[in-house]
Amino acid sequence: MTTPRRCLLGVSALLLAAALPVHGLDWPVEKKTVIGTFGEDSGGRFFDGLDIGGGPQDVRAVLPGDLVFLYDEGEDYSSLPRGLGSFVVLHHEGKIETISCNLKKGSLGSPRTAYAAGDKIGVSGDTGSSDSIHLHFSLYDEETASFLNPLSLLPPVADTQPPVIRRILLSVSDILVPLENGAKVPAGQAEIIAEAYDLRQDVRFHWPLGLYGIRLDVDGKEAARIVFDSLQVAGGRLAVGGTRLTLSGVYTADGLLRCGAVEMRQGNHHLILSARDFAGNETTKEISFTVRD
Amino acid sequence: MKKRRPASIFLTSVLLMVLYFALFPYPLGKELVAKPVWAVDVSSAASNNAGGGEASMSSAPQEAFPFRLGDLFGYVAADGTLLHLGHTLFQVALSRTGYINYARMGTDWIIRDPRGQRTASFSGNGYPLLDADGSRVLVVSSDLTGLAEVDRNGDAAWSRDFPAIMTSLSLQGDFLLVGLLNGSLQLLNRNGVPVYQGPPGSSRIPVIYGCAVTQDGSFIASISGIGPQVLSVLGRNGSSYAGTLRIPLSADYRREVRMGFSPDSRYLYYESRDGVGMVEPREGWSTLVQLPGRVAGSAFLHDSRFAAFAARDGGRVTLTIVLPFLETLSSESFPAGSLFLGTVDGQTLLGVDGRLLRVDIEAL
Repeated sequence: MTTPRRCLLGVSALLLAAALPVHGLDWPVEKKTVIGTFGEDSGGRFFDGLDIGGGPQDVRAVLPGDLVFLYDEGEDYSSLPRGLGSFVVLHHEGKIETISCNLKKGSLGSPRTAYAAGDKIGVSGDTGSSDSIHLHFSLYDEETASFLNPLSLLPPVADTQPPVIRRILLSVSDILVPLENGAKVPAGQAEIIAEAYDLRQDVRFHWPLGLYGIRLDVDGKEAARIVFDSLQVAGGRLAVGGTRLTLSGVYTADGLLRCGAVEMRQGNHHLILSARDFAGNETTKEISFTVRD
Repeated sequence: MKKRRPASIFLTSVLLMVLYFALFPYPLGKELVAKPVWAVDVSSAASNNAGGGEASMSSAPQEAFPFRLGDLFGYVAADGTLLHLGHTLFQVALSRTGYINYARMGTDWIIRDPRGQRTASFSGNGYPLLDADGSRVLVVSSDLTGLAEVDRNGDAAWSRDFPAIMTSLSLQGDFLLVGLLNGSLQLLNRNGVPVYQGPPGSSRIPVIYGCAVTQDGSFIASISGIGPQVLSVLGRNGSSYAGTLRIPLSADYRREVRMGFSPDSRYLYYESRDGVGMVEPREGWSTLVQLPGRVAGSAFLHDSRFAAFAARDGGRVTLTIVLPFLETLSSESFPAGSLFLGTVDGQTLLGVDGRLLRVDIEAL
């Protein structure tokens, strides 16, 4: 069986951190309740930042920086509708920009051009395309014109809960069939699809979050790997950094993960799917199956 | 001894002068005045609408002119007949031929004509945007990095992602100019294909604060950058664009700036620290119309012969009407909360605190 390698690593967190000023970033809010993660399928778009809940709370500059752009919902002029709601963009040393969105209307304070680390920017809110109070926080690298995964650069938060791989499916001619141990599948071109996600640790109900990375090995060889380090436009489409994987290349219409295309050849095979969250927790699922003639 | 001029020399001079003015009279132009024509109380009409939703007042086939006044929007005819009135759900995309009244959350939208009749519906992720005549329907993604255009049947025509969030946008005719946070401009044609991409200038921190394109695509303009902030005008030169004007600004904006071209593509106006800057890019002329306060509205009147600007300073608004590069015709100050400045039949349509007023420029 041949397994074409289709995804490459994005920019490593190490390189990103090296580009930043020595004093490092701090979280923009006190309560670090992550409710939406970088790279998720957000209603037909890649999620380009973090959503942080925890109710209304002060949002602070994570680094010293210059104010670059500010919009307060309800301002008398905007040439385009702004789903980010009230937002503030700061430019920092190292050509990094932080974008704090969905802030409470009127909480942005009096105009100023420079912020010190820890200075209040506003209050998390529900302006723009939002149905709950939260902060949408994005990091933008001007040098590479890419959105960076904020979790790559923010101090880690405690998370001991491993991701979930609920099921692995095989897509043959657009028909999804469960792939389980001992399964007998037809030969030919197929795609490995997975329902995999991380879970919020702070709530008892089901609140799925996106993964940091996923890796598919078939018969001991790496077949595919996706790492949500960065997002970058390639050919007019937002794609996983360093790849040409657009949203439809990463997720199915139902939000399942496309793990890689494989050529199924007759014989016995062994598949390992590994899902990793940002804290380093990893879940692995192994399946042995037979490709029949 | 002092010599005295004969009185005849003086009398001859006076007679010659009188003769000159009789033979070559200087034509005195007619005086232009701004004259109120009618006023409509839209807030009373809204409160009479017991349902609190939308109401059509007239089905007579008249040309409709859109307005937005606070959370009220609607259409008025040239004679002051209120054609349609509604409350915005969250925002409204308004055009001369229709509107989309949409809620904060939602992916399904209905396009209605100026009488409130449904004409089309479509879905998308983000918020909708119409061009001035309602012939183009865009969807701006919620994260401000994607644009899509849909046809009147709601089918996708094209979509495009941008390498940074959009800060400003200008949609005129077949041209769509997008300004980005990373300091670059993208001019897209009717099919969403870039026909120009580039940074308008070099500044310490590149960012686009405002952009504008003419109806015919002959000029594009932007205000960009921090340290320095610069107005750049680029003119079409064959299939490319080249810089025709670059003016360093004394302003230090960190928000979107109002700017736009007149419908005849002749004049560019832009918000400035002391009022409104005006540029005639073909001739390279520029001037400043001094206004008290921050620019709050603009309109070009009488086939772009005149320009009207509203400036807000606290609770007062000043409406100034100018003959570009020549003179200020009128400047009136009044208290105002909500404000709208648009056009009706080529004349000024002014909305103030629930009332609409038509002001015509007439020659006396």
